[in-house]
Amino acid sequence: MTDALVVTGLNKRFGGLRAVQDVSFTVKQNETVALIGPNGAGKTTSFHLITGFHRADSGSVLAFGQEVVGLKPHDVCALGLARTFQVAKPFGAMTVLANVMTGAFLRDRHVIAAREKAREAIDFVGLAAREQTPAKDLTTIDQRRLEMARALATQPRILLLDEVMAGLNPAEIDQAVALVGKLSQRGLTIVIVEHVMRAIMAVARHIVVLDHGQKIAEGAPKEIVENPEVIRAYLGSGYAGAGGGAHA
Amino acid sequence: MGKDADNTSKWQVAALATLGMILLLLPQLVSNGFALDIFIRILLFSFIGVAWNLMGGYAKQLSLGHVAYFGLGAYTSTIMQIDFNISPWIGMIAGGFVAMLASLPVGWLCFRLRGPYFTIATIATAQALMLIFLKFRDFAWGAEGTTIPNLGSSPLMMQFETKASYYYVVLGLLVLGLVITWRIERSWMGYYLVAIGEDEDAAEAIGVNAPRIKRHIYMISAFLTALAGTFYVQYIYFIDPATAFSFNISIEAALVSIVGGIGTLWGPVVGTVLLETTSALLQSWLGSSTGGIQLTVYSLILMAIILWRPTGLMGLFNDLWQRHLDRRPARMRTLP
Amino acid sequence: MLETVAQAVINGLLIGGIYALVSIGVTLIFGVVKIVNFAQGEFVMIGMYISYFLATYFGVDPLLSLLVSMPTLFLIGVLVQHFLIRRVLGPNDMPQIFLTFALSLLLLNLALLLFTANYRTVHTSYSDEALHFGGLYIPEAKLIAFVVAMALSGALWAFLHTTDLGKAMRAAAQNRDVATLMGINSNRVFCVAFGAALALAGAAGSLLMPFYSAYPFVGQVFVLMAFVAVVLGTLGNVLGALVASVMMGIAESLGIQFVGADSGLIVVFAMLLLTLAFKPQGLGGGRMR
Repeated sequence: MTDALVVTGLNKRFGGLRAVQDVSFTVKQNETVALIGPNGAGKTTSFHLITGFHRADSGSVLAFGQEVVGLKPHDVCALGLARTFQVAKPFGAMTVLANVMTGAFLRDRHVIAAREKAREAIDFVGLAAREQTPAKDLTTIDQRRLEMARALATQPRILLLDEVMAGLNPAEIDQAVALVGKLSQRGLTIVIVEHVMRAIMAVARHIVVLDHGQKIAEGAPKEIVENPEVIRAYLGSGYAGAGGGAHA
Repeated sequence: MGKDADNTSKWQVAALATLGMILLLLPQLVSNGFALDIFIRILLFSFIGVAWNLMGGYAKQLSLGHVAYFGLGAYTSTIMQIDFNISPWIGMIAGGFVAMLASLPVGWLCFRLRGPYFTIATIATAQALMLIFLKFRDFAWGAEGTTIPNLGSSPLMMQFETKASYYYVVLGLLVLGLVITWRIERSWMGYYLVAIGEDEDAAEAIGVNAPRIKRHIYMISAFLTALAGTFYVQYIYFIDPATAFSFNISIEAALVSIVGGIGTLWGPVVGTVLLETTSALLQSWLGSSTGGIQLTVYSLILMAIILWRPTGLMGLFNDLWQRHLDRRPARMRTLP
Repeated sequence: MLETVAQAVINGLLIGGIYALVSIGVTLIFGVVKIVNFAQGEFVMIGMYISYFLATYFGVDPLLSLLVSMPTLFLIGVLVQHFLIRRVLGPNDMPQIFLTFALSLLLLNLALLLFTANYRTVHTSYSDEALHFGGLYIPEAKLIAFVVAMALSGALWAFLHTTDLGKAMRAAAQNRDVATLMGINSNRVFCVAFGAALALAGAAGSLLMPFYSAYPFVGQVFVLMAFVAVVLGTLGNVLGALVASVMMGIAESLGIQFVGADSGLIVVFAMLLLTLAFKPQGLGGGRMR
């Protein structure tokens, strides 16, 4: 398998705070990788650095061999890296269809073609019944679905999902897990930031653990939950139990 | 969608055709100079509002400095006419291009800011431009301004004997503005503009080159605004910095769009009809001597719209229409 | 030459104190309520008219009328926040910008209707007095205005740093969510912030009256200056606004002295444009990603 995303020595400082320190990891094509860690570990900042919303102080991000550090977010998206946001950012005044069409215009400027592509993506995430609903009237999970559809409509090769399952109930998490699985079957490479351990175990083949901006571990899910350093990083924030649970 | 949608669009075409006929015939039916003057003002400010709305309404880049381009258009064509005897028809287009070019550095500075500080920056750049025209006397007649020589009937120099002719010119401008808006609204560009207005980060994330789109729409908006500037000074035969760069024009451009319905095709037109009619009525009741009354009333209308109907009159019409549809017998409605 | 420069610096410093009162108000509202108040200048105008009418009809010294203008404007501020601003707070910029803008238009044009465009002045016993130091002179009215302005700024700073309400305001300015979690009643905090900001504008109006004319458009000069100062001094930062305002006063005064009498505004715009061109990262504080 070829490497889809190669992150090497990524650094970002905000004033005195070293948000991301020398982080490196590799994502193989069609692999699903989870980025985990306690709050403030630098997961979302890493996403911002990879997708051009922040500029890295140093380091490199290669997407299918192309350097993306220094590119603007729209250029990164054009290269085939699409992302969602931790707090969904729908275009509230637009309908679901119009939201997703806006994504589809990246590859095809014709309205009719874009509408077709958009409907496909909306169907895929299961929002077809809501096509004409203004995005601001959607429920939280539907807004997340919309973000995914909008990202998919840009026809990405790598999809970065930032906590798409936060705040969902167990049944909704199952649906979301199934959706991520379906995306992976379609051949997409997925990087996912997530807190819900159950979901991570279900979707990720490889896990990268960040703490205080540094990578403290990486490996298969089974190794990660047994890693003493990971358990120490999570201790006290309530996730040690999650690790222990999987252990048992 | 079926039958309802068909009926709606048939109604729309019929309404549009009727409106077009009325507008074309209006100067033949009304010969009262005062009334024609008001119609011309309504068409002119509708057009300025339409130009503003492209950037301010769809992309929510809330400029209060659009008079900069109005003034540049007015001065470009007047300087060309008086100093070089070039027809204002050519000067109008030239003014549009001057405004387009000027929008590049202004945009470069102002688009670094978001929200209210963008608005302040646009005010400041327009005021700075007015100061330049005030300061440099040899360049453009300084603060006194100049009258534009009256050549009698000279259509090639954009001078006409009857107000009706001016009416048709500005009606043409408004139609141009509406057609451009209609085309943009329905294309990928319209979607991109609204997306930028809703959430610029989210737009960038799905590949929208927000700075470039904003730059382009600002150029189009500036170009159209400049055409209005040329028309206006040709209509009143006079130019000075206080007229050509009047802050009130920036205000009215934004106001008519917000009151009528921000980011809608017809919003600026509807808003202008309401505001200008109100203003004309006030003037005929109170006489024109009472300074401040027009803007006092405008600001009250603006506050009322913002507090109770942020979608403007178009939003109100849509709600009423929707309610009307809901009240119709169930069999006439289509199922979702 | 040196003396001319020194005199210009003195003049600028003194008027800079007034600019500071307006800027601190703008920055306080931006910091706490997160909106830009386009009508701030019109509240300076109201302060001036209050002092003008009290002086003309009741013979009250403008400085004494501070005791009327400040509480009146505080009350107006609370009402404006409670009945108008509160209804448009949210992620959408348009209603916020155009509500305060409409308020500015309304107040300005009401003043035009009620008081006409005439310039109105108040003459006090100290209006023409000046202190002399060698070749330099310091107009008394401006000196008093500067000292009172600094005292009021200091009082506001002390309020923000020592009282519970002031600390709650600073907390709200730093992080709205945390403040709500701490049980701070945000509307009350917003009302006080808006009131305090308007009281400062009112004070600026009263302090100006002994040496400046009142007219409906007078606020626009001050608010433009304040916007630039607040951008220069980083949005939401009280001390920054103060320092920047004084600097602007001095720059403007030097401009008038060496470029020309009506170049004040040009200096302001030049400073704004230079700030935009070279220090954009300090702008839009917190609004930029």
